[in-house]
Amino acid sequence: MTVKKRPSDLTSLERFNLYYREKEPPLTGGQKVKRFIWNPKTRQFCGRTGASWSKIMLFYFTFYAALAILVAICMWTFLQLLDAREPKWQLESSIIGTNPGLGFRPMPPEVASSVIWYKGNDPGSYQFWISELSSFLQKYKRDANKSGAGQNIHNCDFKLPPPAGKVCDVDVSLCSPCVEDNGFAYQKSTPCIFLKLNKIYGWKPEFYNSSDNLPSAMPDDLKEHIKNMTAYNKNYLNMVWVSCQGENPADRENIGPIQYLPHRGFPGYYFPYTNQEGYLSPLVAVHLQRPKTGMLINIECRAWANNIKYDRVEGMGSVHIEIMVE
Amino acid sequence: MCSGAVLHGGARCLASILSLSGSHTTSSVQLSAIEPVIPNRTVEQLVKHGRTDSYRVATIGPIKDDNRTADGQYKTRRKPPVKKRKPGDLDDLKQELDIDYHKVTPEELYQRFQTHPENGLSHAKAKENLERDGPNALTPPKQTPEWVKFCKNLFGGFALLLWIGAILCFIAYGIQASTVEEPSDDNLYLGIVLAAVVIVTGIFSYYQESKSSKIMESFKNMVPQFATVVREGEKLTLRAEDLVLGDIVEVKFGDRIPADIRIIESRGFKVDNSSLTGESEPQSRGPEFTNENPLETKNLAFFSTNAVEGTAKGVVICCGDNTVMGRIAGLASGLDTGETPIAKEIHHFIHLITGVAVFLGVTFFLIAFILGYHWLDAVIFLIGIIVANVPEGLLATVTVCLTLTAKRMASKNCLVKNLEAVETLGSTSTICSDKTGTLTQNRMTVAHMWFDNQIIEADTTEDQSGVQYDRTSPGFKALAKIATLCNRAEFKGGQDGVPILKKEVAGDASEAALLKCMELALGDVMSIRKRNKKVCEIPFNSTNKYQVSIHESDDPSDPRHLLVMKGAPERILERCSTIFIGGKEKILDEEMKEAFNNAYLELGGLGERVLGFCDLQLPSDKYPIGYKFNTDDPNFPLENLRFVGLMSMIDPPRAAVPDAVAKCRSAGIKVIMVTGDHPITAKAIAKSVGIISEGNETVEDIAARLNIPVSEVNPREAKAAVVHGTELRELNSDQLDEILKFHTEIVFARTSPQQKLIIVEGCQRLGAIVAVTGDGVNDSPALKKADIGVAMGIAGSDVSKQAADMILLDDNFASIVTGVEEGRLIFDNLKKSIAYTLTSNIPEISPFLAFILCDIPLPLGTVTILCIDLGTDMVPAISLAYEAPESDIMKRQPRDPYRDNLVNRRLISMAYGQIGMIQAAAGFFVYFVIMAENGFLPTKLFGIRKQWDSKAINDLTDSYGQEWTYRDRKALEYTCHTAFFVSIVVVQWADLIICKTRRNSIVHQGMRNWALNFGLIFETALAAFLSYTPGMDKGLRMYPLKFVWWLPAIPFMLSIFIYDEIRRFYLRRNPGGWLEQETYY
Repeated sequence: MTVKKRPSDLTSLERFNLYYREKEPPLTGGQKVKRFIWNPKTRQFCGRTGASWSKIMLFYFTFYAALAILVAICMWTFLQLLDAREPKWQLESSIIGTNPGLGFRPMPPEVASSVIWYKGNDPGSYQFWISELSSFLQKYKRDANKSGAGQNIHNCDFKLPPPAGKVCDVDVSLCSPCVEDNGFAYQKSTPCIFLKLNKIYGWKPEFYNSSDNLPSAMPDDLKEHIKNMTAYNKNYLNMVWVSCQGENPADRENIGPIQYLPHRGFPGYYFPYTNQEGYLSPLVAVHLQRPKTGMLINIECRAWANNIKYDRVEGMGSVHIEIMVE
Repeated sequence: MCSGAVLHGGARCLASILSLSGSHTTSSVQLSAIEPVIPNRTVEQLVKHGRTDSYRVATIGPIKDDNRTADGQYKTRRKPPVKKRKPGDLDDLKQELDIDYHKVTPEELYQRFQTHPENGLSHAKAKENLERDGPNALTPPKQTPEWVKFCKNLFGGFALLLWIGAILCFIAYGIQASTVEEPSDDNLYLGIVLAAVVIVTGIFSYYQESKSSKIMESFKNMVPQFATVVREGEKLTLRAEDLVLGDIVEVKFGDRIPADIRIIESRGFKVDNSSLTGESEPQSRGPEFTNENPLETKNLAFFSTNAVEGTAKGVVICCGDNTVMGRIAGLASGLDTGETPIAKEIHHFIHLITGVAVFLGVTFFLIAFILGYHWLDAVIFLIGIIVANVPEGLLATVTVCLTLTAKRMASKNCLVKNLEAVETLGSTSTICSDKTGTLTQNRMTVAHMWFDNQIIEADTTEDQSGVQYDRTSPGFKALAKIATLCNRAEFKGGQDGVPILKKEVAGDASEAALLKCMELALGDVMSIRKRNKKVCEIPFNSTNKYQVSIHESDDPSDPRHLLVMKGAPERILERCSTIFIGGKEKILDEEMKEAFNNAYLELGGLGERVLGFCDLQLPSDKYPIGYKFNTDDPNFPLENLRFVGLMSMIDPPRAAVPDAVAKCRSAGIKVIMVTGDHPITAKAIAKSVGIISEGNETVEDIAARLNIPVSEVNPREAKAAVVHGTELRELNSDQLDEILKFHTEIVFARTSPQQKLIIVEGCQRLGAIVAVTGDGVNDSPALKKADIGVAMGIAGSDVSKQAADMILLDDNFASIVTGVEEGRLIFDNLKKSIAYTLTSNIPEISPFLAFILCDIPLPLGTVTILCIDLGTDMVPAISLAYEAPESDIMKRQPRDPYRDNLVNRRLISMAYGQIGMIQAAAGFFVYFVIMAENGFLPTKLFGIRKQWDSKAINDLTDSYGQEWTYRDRKALEYTCHTAFFVSIVVVQWADLIICKTRRNSIVHQGMRNWALNFGLIFETALAAFLSYTPGMDKGLRMYPLKFVWWLPAIPFMLSIFIYDEIRRFYLRRNPGGWLEQETYY
């Protein structure tokens, strides 16, 4: 069998060889990366030439600029529609709802923690808590020279609700011994904790209308207290009551007697909150008069009114505090 | 021999002994002239397979994909070849190739098998043999165990990444559970959800896969085959599987040969070897040993070929896998087929996305560390980024899209065995087609007649629309009479309703062709035969090369006997002295002989098989009615007959093939014919179907036209080429590449199965994606090696169906065009679907990044991300599979597998860089709107994250002085998640509509894709359902939204739509422009 020769193939074979020569020898991985980053032959950096890079960058710059303008227009228009002082959605229509929780001060430095821990005989360890409380109470300090908010403040009473646009004063000096001068009683291992009811725009409490009609879950001492107070002055019914308890039986033993200052609750004339200039949240100072030292005490404080629902896990109408005095 | 080739590469040094093609395989000529192309065989391999064992080297060596491209570069995205055949198996295979059963004397044969020609084996011996050799059946190709398949689905693709995410979740939960008293169950739930997602998608793809493989199993349930065997002198009918070596079997026409047998007795026995060798003509077989080559010798008949005529008795010499057929099937199953193009694309895509996910995940893990986050938080960020990055539903979407297309194709008679093969035809750039049975009908048909000194075209079309001829001329009448009478073929019974051309005929293929032709021309042939009773007959034999019969006359006025003869034209002419032309009998002079020769050459040149016809009216005085004719010692004249004409037959092309070939051409697909048949026939068919188009010449044609030797023709000038198998054997791979590259129209004739393989490999080496069509066993290695093998459903052999990826149920080559069209469409649509799905990744990832970098409350949670990926995005993404093509996809070139990727830079740039960014902007805008409307103005949010996420803080102040409990904040946050989710759904409306088209305007494309329109409604309804169903706030943390919170995303939705319409407008305006280069995916 003779091989079929193709004598005139020379040119094509040459072309063929050229074809194979054009193909570069296989590169190693490193070389490939190198050549990708900078290819001197084509003057390409990361697969593009300078001109190509500038074109695509200009394109994306324009594109994103246009997108940014679009977002800006939308955002600006939207913000124009918002009121600066009044949230768009309130109470039921807002997600915040109508069920305030409680907050406490001082807050631990670690955001995720709710433990107030200090050594009763070490000023360095309780100094933090004192200064924390001082700065919290800074805005409650009555200073006649203070402009703006100060002028708005009005001394309120149950019979004397604040006029429109005015806010009621919170006199922290009534909280003695839980006052700054006393170091909030921290050095005596009888720490004070300040409670406040969460502000909800436009929220008004529904008070218990009689001392006989209190919820059964309410601690007896509070019931007793309400009875005593209302017997003395009917107006005291207009209060959002507060109770603090140890969470577990052991805690209840360890917590010792508690004093609530200045009242055992938040007086009704502070509500509703409508983002008034200089509004001050009413406070209740909880003074632990004889907490057991060296023990972690879980405290749960609860606010009481007809329209405050309670759920310990969800933090509804209550707050969880841990305290440890050594 | 093979040594030189083995030393270098041995790539082309294929099985010499197993060469199965026609006459040229007489010696074991080796491909030693061939030079290596891929010099990547190592010395180590040579030592390992040091022998010049061609078959083995061929199988282990470069036939297997070496994972490199032609220039030695590693192909990307391909797993390294792992599977190696054990040398032991191959030695076994090889040894049985040297059979000498056909050479030894029958006596020695009987002795070897301890059998007897009359009595056969004893039952005991048969039982012993059966126990030793196993049943006489092909070992089915090794199936991957079901659990391995299942695990592949469970751990392949993105699943691994998601498993990592799930495990991280469990670890995070475990650590939280052991350190915190009341751990939040979020991580546990997320871990469970992720694991469930992986398992469900895994089960889903496994189910899809097993469904398509079940279709194949239906092919396996063949009707059991029976064989007649002589054992202990008794004739038994056994199942073919129970045959053993040494059995004496009897075979008659119509049977399938049950094993490789040596013939010991035969009567007019003919076999159809076409499925083994591609030769369409039946081969006669008898007891005589005629050739060293087992495939050539007359005394062997092979397993699974068909007996078409006569009867024979033989000794079983090879069973099951050791048969020639078994070995080719073994060769086919030994081939590594590599991945389908779409699988490569999907792997490419998975690697890309996984790379991005891991890169982003690790980067932000480190950033989180640097920013001072707790490591557990950093791990949770990592999980979030992984979940956001991985398009969880996409692989299922791709599977569904492919399944939909597979179903559509099945309804058009293309059955796809392997789901991924659906797309392969679409990217095919070369089709290597077998001739017999694929391009042609595998049915001999009369094509031309020569009488009255003119060539007349007979009607060969299936639908009988061909040229009609004058049926009343005396020349035709005489010719027709001979063709009718001198013919032993008969229609098989019970086919009344069947069109004549499709009726089955008992008898020789040529005679069947004549019978059908005459039945069409004259009507009821059988009654004509009845009227002209046959009184004597000498059947065809290879020494006489003619067939003669004598008939009584049906003309009462002319009681002379009629002698009719047909046979090889030159032999017939020798016996004639006159010629019948124009109704007159003329002396057969030189002029007439010249005319005959011209006609004979012309018909032969068309690749047709020519038969000559002559007759003689026997004088009634000498041969009265009742005369005793003697056939053994002819007492009637066989010389000085009257020559009547020629008839030529061909296996005609299928009617739809020329059109289909033309369509493939215009779609940029090169169609190459690869056949075991004769070059002249092959060329003729190639020309008639347009594989060699009109006006294109081969080197030989040019040589003939210019009257110069072939060697002086510049092959560059010839666009067409007809390459003979022997010629191919002498070519090295460079030369083969050259032929494949420079000739646009190529026919390979007389090729062996191995050469078909070489051709396929050659095409693949040049970067083509190759489809192979074929029906025979000899095609199966090529079918397996091809990127997509297409087998014939009706005519195809089982082995070929096994090796193929796609089966044409109607055997119609034109269905391939459908396949190409559907394949291209699904590729385009998958691109669109992926572009759609990937776009939403940006609004999914960016919240996490903002959460970490800007310290804002998390705008979108992992659960909501899963709701998008596995919920709202799924149906629209799938619906894109129904999208109509944008342009005439059959008019463009096939895609370039190296550059035109499924997921390319431009698609990522569009999806991530542009549309995704607008979507993210929409999401954040909604987030800020809801936050602000509820009290947290944007400025308040930055840096608030720590307090926001702290359970201890029960009184977080907002911009209006309101104080939020932990629970309320979280409700707000989850409402934001829901709103972000809803806004993604809203902007995905626009994305879906712009993804419908890549170039056209939506106005032009229309909204007639109802699946897609349904998808739009579905995703909206699902989003509303998830948001508003009571209880969702507990289950999925999805909160009901105010209606107005659906609206902020609308400007962004519109801007996506407008932006892309403008972009596409410029694309159409400036084809090939910068914007197209950068954004047309």
